[in-house]
Amino acid sequence: MSEPSTATMDFPRRDARDKLQGRTRYIVDQGRPGMLHAVQLRAEVPSARILRIDTSVARKMPGVRAIVTAEDSPARHGIGIADHPLFATGCIRYDGEPIAAVAAETLAQAKAAAAAIVVELEPLPAVITMADALAPDAPLVHPDWRDYEVLLEGGAHAGNVAWEATVVRGDTDAVFARDDVEIVDSRFRIGRQNHLSFEPRAVVASYEDGRFHIETSTQVPWTVRNVTARLVGVPASHVRVTVPAVGGGFGLKFDCSLEPFAALLARAAGRPVKLVNSREEEMLTCLSRENAEIRIRSAVTREGEIVGREAVVLMDCGAYGGEQIFLTTMTAHTLGGNYRLGSVKISTRAIYTNTAPNGAFRACNGVYNTFALERHTDEICAAIGMDPLEFRRRNVLGDKDLGATGQVFEGDVLRPMLDRMAELREAKTSKKHLAGERLYGRATTVGTWFIFVGPSAATVNLNPDGSATLVTSGVEIGSGSMMQSLPQIVASTLGLRPQDVVVRTADTDAGGFDVGVGGGRTTVSLGAASLAAAVEVRKKLLHVASDMLEASAEDLVLENGRVEILGVKGSGTTIEKVAERAQRVTGPISGSGAFTGPGVAAMPGCAAGHFIDAIDIPVFAVHDCEVAVDPETGHVEVLSYTVVQDVGRALNPRAIYGQIQGGVVQGLGYALHEEISIGANGRICQAGLETYRVPLAQDVVPVEISLYEGAPSIGPLGTKGAGEVPILNVAAAIACAVSNATGRRVQEIPLTPPRVLELLLGNNQPLDFPHIADAWRDNAIAAGV
Amino acid sequence: MSLRLNVNGEDRFSAAEPLTPLVDVLRDEFHLTGAKIVCREGFCGACTVLLDGRSVMSCLVPVGLAADSEVRTVESLATDGVLSPLQLAMEQHDAVQCGMCFPGMLMSLTSFLERMPNPSRDDIKAALAGNICRCTGYERIVDAALSVVRAA
Amino acid sequence: MPGQDGERLYVATSLADALAALAERGRTASVLAGATWTMRAPLRHEPQDLSYVAISKIDELRRVEVLNHEISIGACVTHAELANALAFLPECSALVQAAGNSANPAIRNVATIGGNLCASAFAAADLVPALICLDAELEIARPDGSERLTVERFLEIRSDIEPGRLVRRVIVPRTKRRSAHIRLPLRKAGDYPVASVSLAATLGPTGIVESARLAVGSVEPVARRWPLLEAGLVGRALDPRHAAEQAERLCGDFSGRDGIEAPGWYRVKVLPSLVRRAVLALQEQS
Repeated sequence: MSEPSTATMDFPRRDARDKLQGRTRYIVDQGRPGMLHAVQLRAEVPSARILRIDTSVARKMPGVRAIVTAEDSPARHGIGIADHPLFATGCIRYDGEPIAAVAAETLAQAKAAAAAIVVELEPLPAVITMADALAPDAPLVHPDWRDYEVLLEGGAHAGNVAWEATVVRGDTDAVFARDDVEIVDSRFRIGRQNHLSFEPRAVVASYEDGRFHIETSTQVPWTVRNVTARLVGVPASHVRVTVPAVGGGFGLKFDCSLEPFAALLARAAGRPVKLVNSREEEMLTCLSRENAEIRIRSAVTREGEIVGREAVVLMDCGAYGGEQIFLTTMTAHTLGGNYRLGSVKISTRAIYTNTAPNGAFRACNGVYNTFALERHTDEICAAIGMDPLEFRRRNVLGDKDLGATGQVFEGDVLRPMLDRMAELREAKTSKKHLAGERLYGRATTVGTWFIFVGPSAATVNLNPDGSATLVTSGVEIGSGSMMQSLPQIVASTLGLRPQDVVVRTADTDAGGFDVGVGGGRTTVSLGAASLAAAVEVRKKLLHVASDMLEASAEDLVLENGRVEILGVKGSGTTIEKVAERAQRVTGPISGSGAFTGPGVAAMPGCAAGHFIDAIDIPVFAVHDCEVAVDPETGHVEVLSYTVVQDVGRALNPRAIYGQIQGGVVQGLGYALHEEISIGANGRICQAGLETYRVPLAQDVVPVEISLYEGAPSIGPLGTKGAGEVPILNVAAAIACAVSNATGRRVQEIPLTPPRVLELLLGNNQPLDFPHIADAWRDNAIAAGV
Repeated sequence: MSLRLNVNGEDRFSAAEPLTPLVDVLRDEFHLTGAKIVCREGFCGACTVLLDGRSVMSCLVPVGLAADSEVRTVESLATDGVLSPLQLAMEQHDAVQCGMCFPGMLMSLTSFLERMPNPSRDDIKAALAGNICRCTGYERIVDAALSVVRAA
Repeated sequence: MPGQDGERLYVATSLADALAALAERGRTASVLAGATWTMRAPLRHEPQDLSYVAISKIDELRRVEVLNHEISIGACVTHAELANALAFLPECSALVQAAGNSANPAIRNVATIGGNLCASAFAAADLVPALICLDAELEIARPDGSERLTVERFLEIRSDIEPGRLVRRVIVPRTKRRSAHIRLPLRKAGDYPVASVSLAATLGPTGIVESARLAVGSVEPVARRWPLLEAGLVGRALDPRHAAEQAERLCGDFSGRDGIEAPGWYRVKVLPSLVRRAVLALQEQS
């Protein structure tokens, strides 16, 4: 079997050199002979009835080759519920919703034709905020919800509540009524976050021999294949998806987006079609991390035991359910995570509004739920007068402890990680002196996330030149997993060097089904499938070698491109020679492997409306930071940042450090700079990078990193995904530190200078959510409890 | 009317409308797709090229104003397949992730290091005020640039 | 000949050439300097003017001349060139700091002083308050000659300047003064300032402020002086805390503009701090 030791190294990525020379061809850089350029005509109002769409003038304009509208795509798609048509159908539900798509010889011609399409609208009332959407007489974003196809049973729906997931374990009413508990009640509000992947969503589609070929910038080739087929109205086997290097994803590209438009246009025009979102389109219609509103109440004893917790989490899914429907599941493991709870009730509701749909973003709802949970935890500590570090040490989940849904956790992980952080805090000099006359604060926070396992397939071909080819549907989005951990796993199993393992870029005609690259699953799920495929190859290889060397297969070892008889160096032959011989004797050697999550049990009856009741691979993180707050301007400077991260086993430590630095900085943006506001017209105000501010080089610090290895994991060689989780508790750590520095109750992020100054001046309005009912059960449709 | 530009040491001609952004001419006409279009408003730096030796955002330069000038793009940095010291340092530091920002980062840093051969870490960070990286969190890019300074 | 080719961009080779091209095109033409503002017109969903006369290749507009009594800065001098050319003149610190820290390096390499003054919709321009505090004037070239006016006056009339004219140069008088430009971006750098304060003062032999000019940028749509605060600074030694207290008292003079990046109240609220920092910067110059 593969030895972790031979799979562990700082293997450099083979795509770096071309990327550094500007040679890598992302989709945005690609062209085809005869290729047309496409644009979408988008709605400029948040809610309206469509009276008429007239494309007749536009169709006759110079260079126009195809125009498609809702008539060309009657189907709907979605997660849990098929609520989302490709084009606005019958009515407009958000500003930016596609009405038509145009392909023309040039982009300018396509834009001119789109502007010439006549659209007659009758304005309808809109619900822009979740408070609007949950008001008693709110207009419904989807009045015809009952006609939609239900894709997963069990989610409750009512009014503008698109989906509801609930957790009920134990009797919280009883413990909240106890007279020996302190009740701490906290509210939080969090804005959206734009991924700002440098490559926007972009696609080149063609229609050849009765099939679509979609070349696209995506994290999920198989989702694109299946959703495109559904929306275009062909069998899924009629769609082939290939993916070159992707210029950043972060979850934005974890869904089908532009592909069906380009496919319809390519078929209509009989020519390849390129469709690329402008940056403004990306800013205004990004599948952002959703805005959320949270109320969390806990009953805690004076000794610091959390005997009861009730929470309501409202997630804005925008005009269509999308990823938020699934993500309602995650609150149980994030807001309901980290700590032992005597009893718990959680209602998580995805709310329809007339705003751009939201989507998946690195550690999805985990980042804001962790922010809320950790700030709430500090408020508990203040209320009962306990040191926040001590409270966490006492209460974090450990071996055999029950999670919110009754899942039994394995191993003590968070507690020793907290201990390690304490050691790091001790060992390093505080950066307090750098704060000068500014306010200084520090905080340590914990976080729980998971690996999004699910099915993956892999094939390994051993080539007669002694190299191997790994075929999967994995995509290189920048994180390096496809360039580093996968070839490392295959190479160590076969005794090859990782550079001798060719990794095929994703092609749904070649690689088997895969859930996609995201959720920290690449090294785990694709890695496990690749490992299984390589193990099969190894078995066949040893079989042939055992004939050649006249030794039993058990006595053979694979190393350095050779098969050797155990203990006798130089006794064997090269893998190249074995592969060559196999080709003649048995035919070429190949192996296939597959993986899917085993499914961990929850306590029956605890979770309703959940897509997964328990998490197969939990991942934990402990973050510590020091900040200085300028009392005159509200500017927050990060002085130091330290991460202890549970990685299971680190196959490429250097690559993981890179992911942690990058993930923490993305989290700093979320915590401090990146603000999305939505105007009364339902349009996102930050249309570009002048107003949507991400951290720049001067805004960041080098992150001190300690990798925590050895926690239980079903991942190959004990791995866990390491790329998603670094963002998880950054907002939590920063918010707690700012709260400590200012002595103020931080309830909202991002902590932009105006927001912090408002807090310092005491001018902020305490959060009040009239649309979250006081009694928990009134926030749960399905609460027969 | 044709515009002449000296691009990476070679005279090139463009018939583009002179208000066309330089980056579009480089990419669409000359197939130099290294410079990336990300924001078109001068904040991301992904389209940074050198115009007569100075770093500029090529999305905001009308090609008509680049006529008869020297343009250097990321494609010029390696010679005969040998990476420039800065490119090599980036590779050796495993700095690259998605890679979209690097063409601009490299041009900003190349121009900066030509002007300021012995900068501090803070100087390098300040020089990158117009170059966003969404993947790496910057520090490794700065490490790589510093290593070139120290080696020189 | 100017305007003969029907192109949307005419690159003038001399001032006379530019004036002739502008005269010929009348209201259909605009002046283009560094182009960084104009090239973003599509993002602002503004129609681009029909044609442009580029002046950035005109040698005389690219010169900085430091004379005994004044500094003459051609309209097409870039921020980077300006910061570089005046770096050795402590009296011009405000201008050097404004030019050397605006936007980001690649923008500073292209954006010009003339463009900064003429972009009337750009409230956050760094050079404008710096030039106001330095009592700068500018020269407008027109077909029949030229006229000189103060920067403050120019800001009042800039939207109504007759076609066919262009800003030729900026003139900064030389006096023995200290000056500073304090800008407040939301990040460490790379942003436009949400507020900025430019201060210039002359000190008597005992360190008493004899005259002071203080301009506030980005808070209101157009940068302007803060006369009451100036008066409060004169006649006493530089005192950062006292200045901030006065600023606090006089903040009501400003009505902050609400923007996506910051609310109006914030821009006003930070002014005392920026004033304190500006006075401190002057104190530290010797």
